[in-house]
Amino acid sequence: MNVDDTTLRALAASLKFRQMRQEVINSNIANAETPGYKSKSVEFEAALARAVDVDHDGVMTAEDEKHYKLHTGGFSSLEPEIVESSNGVVSDDGNTVDMENEMASMAENKVMYDASVQLLNKKLALMKYAIINEK
Amino acid sequence: MDLLTSLKISASGLQAQKKRMEAINSNIANAQVTRTAEGGAYRPKEVVFGSEPARDSFAEILEGEMDEKAQTVHVTEVESSNRPPVLKYEPNHPDADEKGYVAYPDINVMVEMANMISASRSYEANITALNTTKQMAMKDLEIGR
Repeated sequence: MNVDDTTLRALAASLKFRQMRQEVINSNIANAETPGYKSKSVEFEAALARAVDVDHDGVMTAEDEKHYKLHTGGFSSLEPEIVESSNGVVSDDGNTVDMENEMASMAENKVMYDASVQLLNKKLALMKYAIINEK
Repeated sequence: MDLLTSLKISASGLQAQKKRMEAINSNIANAQVTRTAEGGAYRPKEVVFGSEPARDSFAEILEGEMDEKAQTVHVTEVESSNRPPVLKYEPNHPDADEKGYVAYPDINVMVEMANMISASRSYEANITALNTTKQMAMKDLEIGR
């Protein structure tokens, strides 16, 4: 069994990005009434999906070895995008935080974070089982 | 980019809303005050919020892009409003001027109450965010158990 496998790396990346998202959501909630503050969001799902793309469905083939290969499933270069996202809500003081939206995103983020931790535990339990039961 | 910074951000939100609440309470309590240490009627207080990057140390700033993005909130100023006082005709009042008018602070208690509810809701939202972050951090401890 390969200890450095895709599942573990994908779950670790997912946890890391969800922590980032939590931080940005907290920042939005804290600054919900700061004049001129622009609401932000962390986008990582698409990038992570490309990195996890183990079947290389999305691979662009390179004819020449000098060509860059795209979408080859690299976790090392995986970076989330942090973008200014307004939901169309702009108050008089230029603030674009949509409080309801932030609370919903936070709830979702928490559930998905817990799910990732649970999956990580299952994966580790499986590896442990394989190690212990070798006879 | 960690949960402890997230906690710090929510804590700053709580602190800012608390200061705002203090100013509102002061305005309500002093709505009828005609005599202050500075002289004249009480001047209503207004808080001004400002944001700043959540990280301050050099090592933390080196961490990358997040530094500009995640921001704490602070009360940058507590201003005394320049709204002119409201004059009421009360010739028997000890603070009445020679024409019999008394200067009362221009405070609408209804507006202050509405502000107070808004501050209270924001405080609760920050508490929820803080609790969620805390639960995520606790979940971290379960990894590999």
